[in-house]
Amino acid sequence: MRMSSLILQTAVRFILPLTFLYAAYAALKGHNGPGGGFIAGLIASVGFCTYRMSYGDRAFHRLLPVHPRWLVFVGLGLAGAVASLPLLFGQPLLRSASTTLHLGGSEVHLVSSMAFDLGLLLVVVGVAVGMISRLGEELDR
Amino acid sequence: MVTASPYLVLVAVGAPALAGLATMLLPDARKLTRLSLATAGPVASVVLVAIHLGRNGVSPADTPTGTIPWVPSLNLDISFLVDGLGSFFALLIAGMGVIVVPYARAYFGHDAASLARFFPTLGFFTSAMLGVVLADHLLLTVLFWEMTSVSSFLLIGWDRDDADAGKRAMQAFFTTGLGGLALLGGILLFGGHTGIWRWSRLMAEAATISHDGTVVAAFVLMFVGAATKSAQWPLHDWLPGAMKAPTPVSAYLHSATMVKAGVFLLGRMLPAFGALALWLPLLVSIGAVTMLLGAVLALSQDNLKRMFAYTTVSHLGLLVAMYGLGGASTAEGVGTIHWDLTQIASHALYKAPLFLVVGALAHLVGSTRVAQLHGLWNRPGAGTKAAAAVLLLSGYALAGGPGTVSFIAKELFFAATDHATAAHPLLAVVGVMAIAAAACNVAIFVRLAATVFGLRSGAGDASETPDATHREPDSWSFMLWAPAAALIALQYLGGLVPTLWNRTFSGIEANVHDEAFADGLPWAWEPFLHPGMPLLMSMVAIGAGTALGFSRWMRGDLVDVHARIWPATYRGILRGGHRLFHSLQTGHLRHYLAVVFSVLTLCIGWAAWADPAMLRPPAGMDPFEYPAGLLLGAVVCAAAIALPMVTERVVRVLVLGASGFAVVGLYLVYQAPDLALTQLMFEIISVILFLLVLRLLPRPDHRPRIRVLPRLALASVVGISIGWMTLLAGHAVDNRAEDAPTLGKFFEAHSLEGSEMTDGRGGEGRNVVNVILVDFRGFDTLGEITVLATAVLGVWSMLPGRRRHREEEDLAVDTGQGAQP
Repeated sequence: MRMSSLILQTAVRFILPLTFLYAAYAALKGHNGPGGGFIAGLIASVGFCTYRMSYGDRAFHRLLPVHPRWLVFVGLGLAGAVASLPLLFGQPLLRSASTTLHLGGSEVHLVSSMAFDLGLLLVVVGVAVGMISRLGEELDR
Repeated sequence: MVTASPYLVLVAVGAPALAGLATMLLPDARKLTRLSLATAGPVASVVLVAIHLGRNGVSPADTPTGTIPWVPSLNLDISFLVDGLGSFFALLIAGMGVIVVPYARAYFGHDAASLARFFPTLGFFTSAMLGVVLADHLLLTVLFWEMTSVSSFLLIGWDRDDADAGKRAMQAFFTTGLGGLALLGGILLFGGHTGIWRWSRLMAEAATISHDGTVVAAFVLMFVGAATKSAQWPLHDWLPGAMKAPTPVSAYLHSATMVKAGVFLLGRMLPAFGALALWLPLLVSIGAVTMLLGAVLALSQDNLKRMFAYTTVSHLGLLVAMYGLGGASTAEGVGTIHWDLTQIASHALYKAPLFLVVGALAHLVGSTRVAQLHGLWNRPGAGTKAAAAVLLLSGYALAGGPGTVSFIAKELFFAATDHATAAHPLLAVVGVMAIAAAACNVAIFVRLAATVFGLRSGAGDASETPDATHREPDSWSFMLWAPAAALIALQYLGGLVPTLWNRTFSGIEANVHDEAFADGLPWAWEPFLHPGMPLLMSMVAIGAGTALGFSRWMRGDLVDVHARIWPATYRGILRGGHRLFHSLQTGHLRHYLAVVFSVLTLCIGWAAWADPAMLRPPAGMDPFEYPAGLLLGAVVCAAAIALPMVTERVVRVLVLGASGFAVVGLYLVYQAPDLALTQLMFEIISVILFLLVLRLLPRPDHRPRIRVLPRLALASVVGISIGWMTLLAGHAVDNRAEDAPTLGKFFEAHSLEGSEMTDGRGGEGRNVVNVILVDFRGFDTLGEITVLATAVLGVWSMLPGRRRHREEEDLAVDTGQGAQP
């Protein structure tokens, strides 16, 4: 499925980096401000999907050279690993740990559940992009 | 006294399996090493159990041998009970294992692939069986019990090219597995009711166990487990079917050891349940019917393996009836039995040689049919003569002829029936049935002997050409009959020199109460010096059996009607499953949704019925807090009502989108930016998805659907009840926490820092929604992304496009090749 409108293509070219930037911001900020892995994943997916709609399948493959299933596998694996890691230390499943990094003058508070969030993001992107591109392929044929 | 080590017993139990597995690491060429290793497993078990007994003696039945913690949360640990019954069975199993391994080497010959598979499987079985008889914890017994069923399944279906073997394996597994489930249910019921989870405690408190309904139900379930395993009527058909297994397996599992697991279990249960009013009638009736039926069917078989399988069924029935009779004589309220282990050992010591020699005959003569044995004695070959001799000697023991342990064992059983008849005159019927069964066994021996010596009254003649499975003898051929000879020698040794037998068994025969045999088994001639009822019964059986053996009666194949039970059950299960599948899986999404939603509504309704407070509106709600919210809510409702009215699919998607975007607005009004953002993105993606899917969907069909009114009713009920539940959940008040009475307040209070309610642990984040997602409800999220991943896997694999494409390519290649000359 492709909507090759010049306006859309030009707009997407500018919007896409912003979308990803905002997705990254939402993902990193998520634990303390509005955002989170799930939302960030959805934002990035919308970016990918609009790009695919305007530029078509081939260009999309250049943008995302791996099959979306790898995103799903890696994301699910990461989330599962982070979730079960505490079991090795005799802690219950999903027990989070945190540390504070001192970078220059600023302090960055890191929580292990952020890695879980990242896994969530990858799965959401993989699933949304995977479904839409697969259905799109079906229509292109 | 040296403290008993459970680890010693654990190693004894595990050794055969470990040794069996280790043989797989050896290269195929190292046959002798492999054989030695496989034999070393059961040898180690025998030695270790003997060391244990030497150091600690036979422990009383109420003293377990230490425990190794395993699953403390389930109250399950690895504990063993090496009492008389357990150690006897352990030595029997491991000892038979030592004999069967080299026999298997001779039986399979140079078939290296079979041997490579056989040793680990056999080791697995041996360990499982040792576990059954030595376990102290009831659940541990069940665990090993199921493992024996699995190994039996693997061994019956040994021949992978034989479809019938597969079916028989399934039948055996199904029957014994069903029994295993009953056993588990019985044990759970009993353990949950009485709090007794150990055989040792069961023995210690045997006299005080109440005989209420639950205990009786638990006993019946456990008996079903024992009866299926020991092939009792009416579910005995799997055992003759199990003869599809290679002969070493038939000799080991299906005559001497595994099928005795049920009998063993009854032996374990006797002290506790023997005094139940149901014990004697249930066990004796089932056992006696099995005993007679098996014997009659055995006599009419032509195939030696099936014949001996039915005699095994018959003897298992006798053993069950024997334990049943134990309920008639109780000491201090606890059921007792006389010389039960001798009875069991005697059977193993003649039945195993019979099977082993059948395997030898299959190689030497090329057939296991009785008719093919005509004049076997006069045929050339030392091996043939030896096999014929062992066959006849074992057959003599099967018949219970004087001079064997088996003879004394029969006397013991007759004495027990005689003894019980004094208390319950009706049990005289069992005595008569026992005589009839014994007569059948005698007749089998007479018929076999007549055939082997080539007498006219024997079966068939040797003019038919044998099947061509005949194999040239190799250096291991003597092993085909030597183990059988060793075993049967013990029968005669014990029968002719009973002091030896008595010395061995007096230590482990815990329940010797019969005054007639209190001093041990008598010398062979003693019964004749003091004739009594048992000897009379024996003589009647021998006389009638000899006459029956020479007669023309019961020579044809009697069809066992019980053989129809399994095929009928199997078909019934398949058909029922088919029908159920088709009534549930209609292939219409609306049917599935209707079922799912109906069940959901019923559950909610049930909960509301149980707790009427759920129907009252929660306190502290102000519907007019945000007027804009009301307006947006009205839009959502309007869109929802409009949705089923429009018929065009694209319009429907748009209306659905309108509803979604109104929800986005609602979230904004109620100050939930996270949710608003999520909903917005989700709406965009779902609209794209819908538009894609719509183009792939076939044209809307107008087949008859569920009528509108019921659908409308269901939809309204589901929508209202789910909405109501959500409202209730949000406002549910937990009175235990003053500072955070509702869920919302709780999450707000703990998303950053914890309190004593959360073990001092917080989510360490200020965004409540995200902390809920990845921390408080992280497990839910993990489940959800797994569902998402599964769904997308479904899309990738079930959309036919790519595969169709590839098939077309293959087709093009095929036709291209076909076009070339």
